[in-house]
Amino acid sequence: MAVPDASRSHSSSPLTSSLAWGLWLWVAVTIWAAFYYAPLAAGFIGESSRILFFHVPMAWTSFVAFIAAGVWSLRYLFGGRRTEHDRAATAAVELGMVFCILATVTGALWARIMWGAYWNWDPRQISITLALLFYAAYLVLRGAVEDPDARARLSAAYAALGLIVAPFLFFVLPRITFSLHPESVINAQGKVEMESRMLQVLLSGSAAFTAFFFWLHNLRCRIAALAERDAAEKEA
Amino acid sequence: MPRRSSFVAETAAVFLKDWRTELRTRYALNAVALFAVTTLVVVSLGLGPLGAVGGDRASILPVLLWLILLFAASAGLPRSFAHEEETHTATALRLAARPVAVFCGKLLYSLTLILAIEALVAPLFAAMLQLPVESPGRLVAALAVGGYGLAAASTLVAAIVAQARGKGALFAVLAFPVLIPVLLLAMAATRAAVGGGAEDGALLQALLYDASVTVGGLMLFPPIWNP
Repeated sequence: MAVPDASRSHSSSPLTSSLAWGLWLWVAVTIWAAFYYAPLAAGFIGESSRILFFHVPMAWTSFVAFIAAGVWSLRYLFGGRRTEHDRAATAAVELGMVFCILATVTGALWARIMWGAYWNWDPRQISITLALLFYAAYLVLRGAVEDPDARARLSAAYAALGLIVAPFLFFVLPRITFSLHPESVINAQGKVEMESRMLQVLLSGSAAFTAFFFWLHNLRCRIAALAERDAAEKEA
Repeated sequence: MPRRSSFVAETAAVFLKDWRTELRTRYALNAVALFAVTTLVVVSLGLGPLGAVGGDRASILPVLLWLILLFAASAGLPRSFAHEEETHTATALRLAARPVAVFCGKLLYSLTLILAIEALVAPLFAAMLQLPVESPGRLVAALAVGGYGLAAASTLVAAIVAQARGKGALFAVLAFPVLIPVLLLAMAATRAAVGGGAEDGALLQALLYDASVTVGGLMLFPPIWNP
C-alpha cells in the first residue's frame, strides 16, 4: 500500500474527487439495500438482523485497520524508519478504534434484543474488548514518549507485538468458552450459508466500509503531514 | 584485536549481572515476595476461615492464584529495564552486549524471579485456601508455562516502557492486554489440575503463546533497545 507524499498532493484531481463521489454513492446504495433489498433472516427478533449489514463490515474494517497498522509499523521498523509509515500506522490505529467502538456498540445493541443483555462476555465480546484495550494502550504509549523518533520506534514495536498476540485474541480465546455468536459467514466447514441477497449486501457493505476506511486514512495522513510541516516551519 | 565474546557468554553475563545487583539491594525480591504474600493474605482473609466453599471452588481459586501472580510480577518485572535507564547504565550495556543477548539475559532473570515467586506463593496458596490439587504434575506444568509467558511478554513490554514517561502506570496499561491470553490459558490449565474443568489443550495453546512471544521478542527487541 503506497502512502502518498502529503506535501505534494494537497489538492485533489478530478479523478480522485469523482472516485470520492463514487464512494459516497456506493455507501448510500448499500445502506438503502440493507433496509429494502435484503430479506430478513429467519429466527431473529423483528428487524434486528439488519444490523448485521453494519455490524459485520465495521468489525471487518477495524480488523483490516489494525492489521494495516501492524504492517505499516513493521515497515517503519525494518524498512528505513520513514516518517510516513509511522503516520500511516497511527492513523490506521485511530480510525480502527472508531470502527471498533462502532462495531462494539452495534453488537451490544443487537445482543440486548436477541440475548436480553447488552453485555455477557461472549467470546467475540472478549476479543473486541481486548483489541480496544490494546490499541488504547498504543495511543497512551504515544502520549508518554516525547522524542518523535523514540515515539515512532517504540509504538511501532508495540503495534507489531499486537500482530503476534492477535491470533490468540481472535482464534484461541473464542474457542475456550461457549459462544452464542451467530456462525461466521465462512464457518469451520468452509461453506457460505446465507441467503444470496443478504450475502451480496454484506459483501458490498464490507468492501464499501473498507474503501471508506482507506479514503479517511489517506485524508488523515495528509492532514497529519501538513500539521507536521506547519509546526516545523513555525519552529524555523 | 580483542576476542569477540560469544552469544551464550553475553547472555550469561547479563543474567548474572542482574542477579548480582538484585542480591545487593534485594529490592525486587523483598518487594515482590511481600506484595505476593500480602495479597495472598487479603484474598484468604476475604474468603473467610473456610476458604471458598461450594462447587465453584475449583474454578474460582485458579483465577485468584493467577491474579496474585500477575500483580506480584508487574510489581517486580518492569524494574529490570527501568533501573538501567535510571542509573544511566543502559548505554554501557548497549556497548557491552548484542541486543539479542540482552533480551535473553533479562528474560532469564525475569523467568527465575517469577519461578521463585511461584515456588513461594503456590504452596502457601494451596495450604491457606485448601486448593484441591488433583494432579501436582499438571499444576507445576501450568505454573511453568504460564510463568514463562508472563516473563517473556513482560520483558518485552518493560523494555518499551523504560524509555517512556510515567513508567509505573504505563507498564500495567501496556502489559495487561498482551498478557490476558496467556493468563486465561494458564487459568484454564490450572483449573484442569485442580479438577475444576477439562484441560482442552489450554496448556498446549499457552506453550504456543510462549513460543510466539519469544520469537517475536527476538525480532522486535533490537529496534526497541537500540535507538
